[in-house]
Amino acid sequence: MPRKIAIVEDEAAIRENYAAAFRREGYSVDLYDARKPAIDAFEARLPDLVVIDINLRDDVEGGFELCRRLRAMSADLPIIFLTARDSEFDAVSGLRLGADDYLTKDISMPHLMARVAALFRRMEAMQRPEAKENRINRGDLEIDTDRMTVRWKDQAVALTVTEFWMMHALARYPGHVKNRQQLMDAAQAVLDDNTITSHIKRIRRKFVAIDPDFKAIETAYGMGYRWLSE
Amino acid sequence: MNLRRQLLLVSLLTLVLPWAGCQFIRETETALREGQQRMLSGTAQAIADSLSQFPSEFLAAGTDGTFRDSQIFGHSLVNEPFIDGYIDDWSLSEESIRTLPGNEGAIRFSFGVFGQYVYLFVEARDSTVIYAAAPSAAGDAFFEHIDLLSIDAVGTRSEFTFRPEAPGALFGQRLVEGEVKEESRIQAHWQDTPSGYRLEARIPRQLLGVFLGLSVTNTRSASSPGITRSSYQGSTPGRFITTSPILTSAVNGYAQSDLRLIVTDRAGWRLAQAGQLGDTRGGGAEAGDLGWMHRAYNALLEQGDDAVLAEPHPSGREQQAYLRRALEAEAASAWFRSAQSGRAVIAVARPIWSGNVQTGALVLQQGTDAILSLTNKSLGRLINFTLIATLGVGLVLLGYASWLSLRVRRLSAAAERALDEDATQLALPSANASDEIGDLSRSFSQVLRQLGNYNEYLRTLASKLSHELRTPLTIVKSSLENLEHEPLTDDARQYTARARDGAARLQKILSAMSEASRVEELMQNAEPEAIDIHDALQSATAAYAGAWPERRFRFEASMDVAPFSGSPEMIMQMLDKLVDNAIGFSGKQDEIVISLETKGDQYRLSVANPGPPLPDRMRTQLFDSMVSVREGPGYEHLGLGLYIAMLIAKGHGGTIRAENTHEGVVFHIYLPINQTENNRA
Repeated sequence: MPRKIAIVEDEAAIRENYAAAFRREGYSVDLYDARKPAIDAFEARLPDLVVIDINLRDDVEGGFELCRRLRAMSADLPIIFLTARDSEFDAVSGLRLGADDYLTKDISMPHLMARVAALFRRMEAMQRPEAKENRINRGDLEIDTDRMTVRWKDQAVALTVTEFWMMHALARYPGHVKNRQQLMDAAQAVLDDNTITSHIKRIRRKFVAIDPDFKAIETAYGMGYRWLSE
Repeated sequence: MNLRRQLLLVSLLTLVLPWAGCQFIRETETALREGQQRMLSGTAQAIADSLSQFPSEFLAAGTDGTFRDSQIFGHSLVNEPFIDGYIDDWSLSEESIRTLPGNEGAIRFSFGVFGQYVYLFVEARDSTVIYAAAPSAAGDAFFEHIDLLSIDAVGTRSEFTFRPEAPGALFGQRLVEGEVKEESRIQAHWQDTPSGYRLEARIPRQLLGVFLGLSVTNTRSASSPGITRSSYQGSTPGRFITTSPILTSAVNGYAQSDLRLIVTDRAGWRLAQAGQLGDTRGGGAEAGDLGWMHRAYNALLEQGDDAVLAEPHPSGREQQAYLRRALEAEAASAWFRSAQSGRAVIAVARPIWSGNVQTGALVLQQGTDAILSLTNKSLGRLINFTLIATLGVGLVLLGYASWLSLRVRRLSAAAERALDEDATQLALPSANASDEIGDLSRSFSQVLRQLGNYNEYLRTLASKLSHELRTPLTIVKSSLENLEHEPLTDDARQYTARARDGAARLQKILSAMSEASRVEELMQNAEPEAIDIHDALQSATAAYAGAWPERRFRFEASMDVAPFSGSPEMIMQMLDKLVDNAIGFSGKQDEIVISLETKGDQYRLSVANPGPPLPDRMRTQLFDSMVSVREGPGYEHLGLGLYIAMLIAKGHGGTIRAENTHEGVVFHIYLPINQTENNRA
């Protein structure tokens, strides 16, 4: 039984193109062009993963509303925002509503596929018992590559897929500077400098929320970032 | 030429005021003078008419009244002369003395009249004065003698002679039919001088007739006859003219102060004179005091003849042009001005008729202080008022111009500042003024506002455009990606590869375009961290050296630590943009210098590179969105790099400047040092 992906997107050409790509990967795809029909369908039956555009025709913030409703229906349904809106504010709003990732439409199809696959993998891993061999420990940091979870001083740090991949790339070789290109490759996305900066900032902020003295991610001026293990 | 100079120049136009004033004074003076002249003419005509009742006083019998050189004028003497051979007590000027050409030099002579006596003075040069031997020894001996020939109205000839036997007093002698008879009524004095002799004689008036001639005989030796020089040629001497007592008393009745009357006969000989003019020769002291004013007069007022010319001629014969016209039966007038005192003399001349015969002419001269004082005062006042007015107007205009140019300069400075600092909402000075500068200020504000709107539009254009283009680009890209999974020919694959390449480039451009708005957003949300700019720049310089091995990088700093509160990523991004720019404009092996200095309460972060200078026209727009001075097809250079650097500098409370150096270009970022305190506060 193939996994079911729902795409809520008002632009027919994009919707159909994504659908074709997902189908090629073997997923079953449901398409919606507005919030109302999508909600109706999701109330009847939840899909396995939802890709939402924020701007749904005249319903400017329809995507956000849809995300909130879906999160209310299910706490662990993977939700991805895929939108043309690249502002920091939108990204923060989207992720605060519980989305697992916030992607702009710049993302290439293979990168999108990789993310979707990763999300499904994480779902599977969550259902399995924890496996010690997929863990990386760096002092106070503990990374579960299977479940894509990170713990700092035994407290879970909620990261998006992109953030997790960046975090993982940094912490894998502590002390080594990862430049922007390396981080971009690790995150499987084409990002500009400022987006990378935003991601790093967001990651730092999430750690600082747990531990105000967090200083493990250091900026190497002109080069990139590195993970400091004490 | 600036506004102040222009207005000063304009203020010189007030100098037209004195010119106009002078014209007015001139007109007034002329009018006054003409009025007075008319009045004087009337008086002169009346006097001339009254004088026509004395025809005999003008024309002696047997004369036609025309001028001949042989005519002799007897000057009226003021005092009775003492007969001593000296002419000093005659009170005559040198011009009153006539000359005869003698064989040893000029023979000077003069006739005077005082009371009932005629006086004679002769001075001759003579190296050999030969005296008569004895009164009775008249024979063939020769000696010096002076003779007078007189013919009376009825034609009786009388001859008188002076024959000195020795220097000193002597009597004149009368020649009657070759006999010499002493005439004791004629007293004389002969005096030798180093060069010759002098004779002064007194002859009763009644002995002399209408015609009178003088002969002087210079004898070289007692044995040879002397050479005789006469005041006449032929047998008839010239008319003897003396002042007419009747006419004098007649005109004396008209004499007033500052009014002079002169009556002449037809030859111009002065028959009567009455009245005196004021001091027309001008006092020296007065002239010194008012020197500049008189110079102004002479420059401004109509020129009259010199007042000295109005004086009666010492020779006794008046020859002024206006008088000559009157002698030709024409009414004439003239005016004179003393160059020194500025005093004017008005003269009119009228012919005197006796029946149909013109007997002479009357000259009336009036000196006038009225015109002088009027014009004098007006001119003085005019000059003073004009000077004050010109000075005042000049000062007011200067002040006004200064004020105007100050406003204009303030406005222009404010407008420039607004342009420089991109502060398009800045309130410009004079915005509330109701004059043209106010209009200008408001127009400027309007232009600046529009410019601001336009800049704002440009700024958002990039991000709006990139946002709008993103969706169609996504369609293209996703379609191409799907297409690659379809069975395609090799050619078709090539085309899709090219299409993807193009789409990728397009995407790069779009993300560059939206970068600025993302930076702005980040700047707003950025939480400042304490960083050490010195450390950051040092490490970044090392990183750049690694990234661009074909360039040389150098870091200079005037301090070891540079604490700053800001966003390190943003500062680095700003540096990236500047370094990127520096690399773009420099050649291989060029050295890019990154430096950090403290300038007052600011850090100055500079990136300098050798290379072509910035064109002047781009200096102010350099940091605007989508402005590039770079030429060539580099698609990544949308002209956003420096704009982003500017946004970041501004976001940190700093400024950015570009300068041309003699080697290339340097960009300075000024960041406030005390930002840490500000942020904490």
